[in-house]
Amino acid sequence: MTDPFDDEILMRRVDGELSPEAGAAIDAAAAADPALARRLERLRGLRTLAREAFPAASDSRDADLARMIAAAPARREPWTARLSRTARAAFAPRHAPLWGAAAAASFVLGLSVGWLGQDRAPGGFVVAADGSLADAALVRVLDDGLAGDGLDAGGRAVGLTFRDADGRWCRTFRSGQAGVAGLACRNNGVWRLEALAPFQPSSSEVRTAGADTPAAVLAAVDALIADETLDAAAEAEARDAGWR
Amino acid sequence: MDGFQTELVALLPRLRRFARAICRSDADAQDLVQATVERALAKRSGYRSGTRLDSWAFTIMRRIHIDQGRSATRWGRVVTPEDAATPNVADAAQADEDLRADALAVRDAIGRLPEDQRLAVALVLVDGLSYAEAAEVLEVPAGTLTSRLVRGRQSLIQTLTEQGVSA
Repeated sequence: MTDPFDDEILMRRVDGELSPEAGAAIDAAAAADPALARRLERLRGLRTLAREAFPAASDSRDADLARMIAAAPARREPWTARLSRTARAAFAPRHAPLWGAAAAASFVLGLSVGWLGQDRAPGGFVVAADGSLADAALVRVLDDGLAGDGLDAGGRAVGLTFRDADGRWCRTFRSGQAGVAGLACRNNGVWRLEALAPFQPSSSEVRTAGADTPAAVLAAVDALIADETLDAAAEAEARDAGWR
Repeated sequence: MDGFQTELVALLPRLRRFARAICRSDADAQDLVQATVERALAKRSGYRSGTRLDSWAFTIMRRIHIDQGRSATRWGRVVTPEDAATPNVADAAQADEDLRADALAVRDAIGRLPEDQRLAVALVLVDGLSYAEAAEVLEVPAGTLTSRLVRGRQSLIQTLTEQGVSA
């Protein structure tokens, strides 16, 4: 007679990974079969000993680690708090991160990929086939510009600057003449497009970083941002360091 | 401290236990816990609140451990005599004395398992994660986790039987 209970099913019984019915069937069989009962007992004993072998005991070094954790900055105000009141209103309620990522992805697919085929987006916005920005004037603004500089002669400006989880520098931008706003992240010295959306300048003369940024671009920022956006001093420092 | 920090502090004993179950020495385990906490703090934006912080932190620890294992194999390890004399090891030494001989034998046997099996055993037997949770931490299919667990256990039982330990 072959044993219907292999090591795996007994192991599952001991680890609580079987349905109550399947578990009860094994227990009933073990009650009538001392050899089977002995195998189960060994597996249970091993589990108990393994837990005993590595107790989750307190350790004096945990106190140092706890201090390190406590000294880390607590969750600061969300980066959206830096946006103008109008932009915040457009962005509230805060989108779920998943939604943000999906929206960002669909914008890149829907807009930039659609434009990639013709190399030039409407209004002279240039994206290379690999997604890197090929508009020399815009690249210059991303490389050298600061949010405080405002618009250049071609209506280009940078907005928010931050690092993503992979440590890449990312900046939102607008290109007024091209009628687009977007998000680009720097990889190996090249700014690659992460999100792009149609952009309508607001009638307001007062422009703050992030104001007027389309919701899809803000959602892409939300999906990528690792910590928070840079303030003016940190932004200038990152630029002067050559985005390293 | 915010909720993330509080939870991470509460997780320290389990992180240390997992580290001790997969590392060769107590000093290595301490380094691994510290590196894991540092990376968890740096990468906290990658953690989605509402999901399991323990699975997330174990995954970070497992990745660092695998990376360190690779570099240790490549460069070899420099062990200084001070390692053994660090006052901090007192806790671990005291804990060892309190262990039953059988539990010590199990600890040594777990330490001699192949890496894949040791990680599976550490997550399920030592920490008590479900198979699904352990598979997620190891980033392997459920079937792979199960077979590593079966082989690891068979090997542990065989080793202990040879040593006359009645598990």
